[in-house]
Amino acid sequence: MIVIIDYKSGNVGSLQNAILGLGYDCEISSDPGKIKKANKIIFPGQGRAKSARRELKKSGIDKIIKSTRVPFLGICLGMQLLADFSAEDNVSCLSVIPGNVFKLPAGLKVPQIGWNRVRFSRSSPLLTGINNNEFFYFAHSYYFQASAKYVLATTDYGVEFPAVISRDNFYSVQFHPEKSGLAGLKLLNNFCAL
Amino acid sequence: MKIIPAIDIIAGRCVRLTQGDYGRVKRYAVDPVVAALQFRESGASCLQVIDLDGAKFGYPKNEKIIRKIFQATGLPITVGGGIRDLKTAKQFLDSGFYRVILSTAVFKKDLVKNLIANYGADRIMVAVDVKEGQVMTRGWRRAVGMGVDQYLKLIKAAGVEQILLTDVARDGTLSGPNFVLASKVIKNNFKVTVAGGITTLAQLRRLNRLGADGAVIGKAAYEGQIDLVSVFKYFSRDNLAKRIIPCLDIKDGLVVKGKRFQELAVIGDAVELAKLYSQNGADELVFLDIAATIEKRKTLITLVQKIAKNINIPFTVGGGINSLADVKKLLAAGVDKVSLGSAAVRNPDLVKQIARRFGSQCLVISLDVKRYRDGWRVFIDSGHKPTGVDAVGFARLMEKNGAGELLVNSLDRDGTKRGFDVELLKIIAETVKIPVIASSGAGSKEDFLQAFMSGKADAVLAASVFHYGQIGIKELKKYLKSKNINVRI
Repeated sequence: MIVIIDYKSGNVGSLQNAILGLGYDCEISSDPGKIKKANKIIFPGQGRAKSARRELKKSGIDKIIKSTRVPFLGICLGMQLLADFSAEDNVSCLSVIPGNVFKLPAGLKVPQIGWNRVRFSRSSPLLTGINNNEFFYFAHSYYFQASAKYVLATTDYGVEFPAVISRDNFYSVQFHPEKSGLAGLKLLNNFCAL
Repeated sequence: MKIIPAIDIIAGRCVRLTQGDYGRVKRYAVDPVVAALQFRESGASCLQVIDLDGAKFGYPKNEKIIRKIFQATGLPITVGGGIRDLKTAKQFLDSGFYRVILSTAVFKKDLVKNLIANYGADRIMVAVDVKEGQVMTRGWRRAVGMGVDQYLKLIKAAGVEQILLTDVARDGTLSGPNFVLASKVIKNNFKVTVAGGITTLAQLRRLNRLGADGAVIGKAAYEGQIDLVSVFKYFSRDNLAKRIIPCLDIKDGLVVKGKRFQELAVIGDAVELAKLYSQNGADELVFLDIAATIEKRKTLITLVQKIAKNINIPFTVGGGINSLADVKKLLAAGVDKVSLGSAAVRNPDLVKQIARRFGSQCLVISLDVKRYRDGWRVFIDSGHKPTGVDAVGFARLMEKNGAGELLVNSLDRDGTKRGFDVELLKIIAETVKIPVIASSGAGSKEDFLQAFMSGKADAVLAASVFHYGQIGIKELKKYLKSKNINVRI
């Protein structure tokens, strides 16, 4: 069973719709017991770092994430929470992938909202069958400057930032695959098939 | 081509050398961290930081401040100066520095090869410092004893792709780069970042045409010789597409379209239309519940759930949203963003609360605006009620309170197909630093182009031209692309 972690801030329904539409069993849950038993975990993001961090701590889900060995996909804020530290609300994060979260430079329009190109820097089963420089949908004010050895793809928005990163069983994307048309569905399908 | 501002450091301070001569140091009062932040503010997407003490002594001497620069800016940083062994290079690369520059270390057996094997060729840069045709090392103070060609062969064999090319004679002289040398090295199939003497946009453009991967700006940036903001803009590789957003006014689960917000005409089933638009290249969808009341709210939630099941592009719902609870319900039902109109005018604090709780990225503020002799004013309650509030000031307030985007409706133009109020769009787009969505008045493809070009809009929203099939989204995007507007096709 694929479990989508619900930490009470934002839209997880469309993600579930997308996964179900791909033909995979999938449940939304904030129950640590269920998340522990999942064979894949998706950690979506919307909302703010601080409130999300608080919810995760309260429920003990943060510890499950840190120790999980199953394929894990962080999306948007779910990606950023894997970092060491986030400049959004100045909170310490889960330290799953080394690096810090920074605000997009003030010279740019922030948040970045819309479709931007994703350029691959190395191959990964997560990106199989997706065209290099494909458009994906972004909606964010912060980005995860992960250590470059974990970066699978980048996006240019005045500043070039990691769009896809991975470390061991952890994958994460700054864009919203569930909102990115066919390319996004392909990526979710790749994850579900891992 | 990437434009890379350089921060060279001696004893914790920003300096520029002239022709690599440590005896001819120009010190700048600005703190390196402050300088880095200023570059970032101007639009820099990366930085180069050189520890000149390190280059001289053979190991990093200003590491602490270099790390501070990285911490403070979060920009990808290329770091050089005194990186002569595996351990030092590893320390930088492992802690998130994007790229290290090696020079003297090239002669350490297998060091460069090992680093490239471990970190990839993109992250290992070799400095090729040339003085009168000879390659220099040890902080430019000693000749390697090789000509450029021979040296390039040597590093190519080690797997090097990234080169920082400096003509020492030009560096710090503001006399322009050595194009002949640059061209020669680029032709050897390296990714070349050129440094030394670059002063003007024309020089940068010429380097770009030659195929340089990057250009380092040093002295010219410190001394205000070059307008960094416009340079960064000129070479920006921002690929964010301009969005086309069909708007569906919803009443009792059906899509309707009003002319000047009145005389409603039914257009069709909301879910079917949403699917159709999504398949035909719409970048997102907006649903405005124009008859939102408490009992009809439930119908809306059911409809939203249905729409969310059927499309995989973002969609926004607006109309009658008055509280955090409303927002929460809609997001839980599958909405990506909510749009607030009258409620934001009546209670600007609600905007703050929503942004704090759910994030700015899911919050669109919709302004219904009418033109007066002295400017534009905000209306509420579907455009029926004037408030006297100045539209530009209100846009600024909404940005401050945490709005993620502004949807600007012109009541004068709505439903008229006479084109957007471009003046209004422009003044708002230039006032705020959040995306602006143009709305009201689309009649032709040229109107869309005008909204992007003159109105500086980030997205355009329209209803009837799409609903009645007057303009197809695919053909519209094709047209915009032919006019050099970046759209998602």
